[in-house]
Amino acid sequence: MYQYDAIDQQLVEERVAQFRDQTQRYLNKELSEAEFLPLRLQNGLYVQRYAPMLRVAIPYGMLSSDQLRKLADISRRYDKGYGHFSTRQNLQFNWPKLETVPDILEELAQVQMHAVQTSGNCIRNTTTDQYAGVIADEVVDPRPYCELIRQWSTFHPEFAFLPRKFKIAVNATESADRAATQVHDIGLHIKKDADGNIGFKVIVGGGLGRTPMVGEVISEFVPRADLLTYLDAIIRVYNQHGRRDNKYKARIKILVKALGIDEFRRRVDAEWAHLRGKESTVPMSEFERLQGFFTAPAYEALADQPDSLQEKLAQSPGFARWFERNTFAHKQAGYRIVTLTLKKAGQAPGDATAEQMDKAAEMADRYSFGELRVSHEQNLVLADVRQDQLVEVWEAAKEYGFATPTLGLLTDMICCPGGDYCALANAKSIPIAEQVQNAFADLDYLYDIGDVDLNISGCMNACGHHHVGNIGILGVDKKGEEFYQISLGGASGHDASIGKILGPSFAQEDIAGVLQKIIGVYIANRTEEERFIDTYRRIGMAPFKEAAYAKVN
Amino acid sequence: MPKLIKNGEIVTTSQEWVQDVEQQTIDSNSIVPMQFWLENKPTVAGIWIDAGEGTEALADVDLTQFDVIAVHFPAFADGRGFSYARLLRERLGYTGDVRAVGGFIPDQLGYLLRVGFSSFLFAPEVDLEKALKLHKPFSIAYQGDVHDPRPLFLRRS
Repeated sequence: MYQYDAIDQQLVEERVAQFRDQTQRYLNKELSEAEFLPLRLQNGLYVQRYAPMLRVAIPYGMLSSDQLRKLADISRRYDKGYGHFSTRQNLQFNWPKLETVPDILEELAQVQMHAVQTSGNCIRNTTTDQYAGVIADEVVDPRPYCELIRQWSTFHPEFAFLPRKFKIAVNATESADRAATQVHDIGLHIKKDADGNIGFKVIVGGGLGRTPMVGEVISEFVPRADLLTYLDAIIRVYNQHGRRDNKYKARIKILVKALGIDEFRRRVDAEWAHLRGKESTVPMSEFERLQGFFTAPAYEALADQPDSLQEKLAQSPGFARWFERNTFAHKQAGYRIVTLTLKKAGQAPGDATAEQMDKAAEMADRYSFGELRVSHEQNLVLADVRQDQLVEVWEAAKEYGFATPTLGLLTDMICCPGGDYCALANAKSIPIAEQVQNAFADLDYLYDIGDVDLNISGCMNACGHHHVGNIGILGVDKKGEEFYQISLGGASGHDASIGKILGPSFAQEDIAGVLQKIIGVYIANRTEEERFIDTYRRIGMAPFKEAAYAKVN
Repeated sequence: MPKLIKNGEIVTTSQEWVQDVEQQTIDSNSIVPMQFWLENKPTVAGIWIDAGEGTEALADVDLTQFDVIAVHFPAFADGRGFSYARLLRERLGYTGDVRAVGGFIPDQLGYLLRVGFSSFLFAPEVDLEKALKLHKPFSIAYQGDVHDPRPLFLRRS
């Protein structure tokens, strides 16, 4: 993974010193609440319902075992001994004290980590596929490009006070889009042109929140050397013309919609004409330098499907189930990608205790070259596990609560922290997740249901991405009481779509029952090969609606 | 006379930021609204651009006649002025004084300097001595800027 040199290190250290000074001036009342707000937000610090929340960047999901151990250590010493992995490859501490945040940042800097631009109206952490670099059908490894974007966006002097937050995600494979790029402000799809040159299909104006939208294609191919000047052009148009009078209409998606993609493209091209070919054009030497950080680890020459693995698969249904759901094909013979799920019943989705973080770090050291990934679905990934060590990894994963074999199934939910922590939330989301885990605890039933994305958000801000869940649940406030609206038909992959609302909202205690009815309609109507989303798209909303609201007689 | 920070020093200025052309007298020390100047072409020290106006209207104007071009920040969170300053410097080649006026705050100085601002007329309540301590960007930057257009990848040895 990327390693800081003296320059990268100096920059994060200067940032820590700057934030320490800002915090001190705030505590001395030299900075007002209103002035400190954007300064702390640009450093990932929110003031939440009970305590501040600090969001630490895990750039494009890459994490070394030492970094994870440091996160565990910080959670013990400055927080309540756990952290929450978010949908955008960040880690959130929910209970730090404001006055200790500069110390936390200083400790993070010791392991080349930071909280730079993890919130605020600026360019946020760039995200990508958690399987980057280890799957066979990738155009190229997206991580060097993510690092290029990270450096370009970090303390970009022109774009620190945009109309609203700005999120970029990168995908590099035709077969899937695990980074939900089409619901980002900019989605980049790495591709090759007819001559084999590397470039990007650029999608703009996607996003969730109050006005969910799938992005539109602004360019079919931007050569990689021109990536930064093209991004500068898009964001310069947005910075000048995005709405600033209403925060709910300030994202770039609203500007793109208002102008229409053709006019927006025309303006970007006019801006780009001035920037293209100038100093920010990326030279080959920089691509090579960045690629040098993402070379393959020292893989051994191994065969696929070793005997020991085949025997265990035949003997142990539990192992076979975990292998089928929680591991993924690797490009290197004899290796496999393993997901350590953070979806154990009784634990909030995406939460990991300090002990779990330490154990995951230990497993990474022992089985996966000391590196991990963090996924959009709020799980951890060991990307380079030898197939002949999978049984050991499974045993360890079970011991530490990482082996819930439900990756991609109904209970592998995406879920925001909700009203239990977040000051913005209308409703709690974690109790809903718990209710679903309990109602769908039977693994055979879950396997029979198959692939379903269930996403839960505690409010319209949509941190739990409910719009792009095949089933989405949104917490709403009705006269001070918490209710939940259900939507169906969302998707976040290459077939991205925004879900449609089923009907009037439900009381908290009814959610699991309603989900069972919805799943029942799917099971009754599906053809052999259909996933939930396929059946929904074929038969439409009506049968689901009818079942969900049918009176019990 | 108002005080401002210019080129890293606290100085007094005889130039006057004219927000209301009806009420204030216009003379050779005035900094007048861009639109007013475009319509009347008075002889003044300079013009100021409001957020939302952009710099396109200046494309065919000889900017060397202005000692100063000011950019107004209605609020510090309104970042349009960052693009305007950069366009004045890089697109329109303006080499005179580019001044920030309005509701920006001292903690933004690092970014403001990098996009080409050279003087700062803060809101009256800002302590300029304290602001001066923040009058520097980080010692390094990944991107190019108005002072050095080369990104770090052209400078990293």
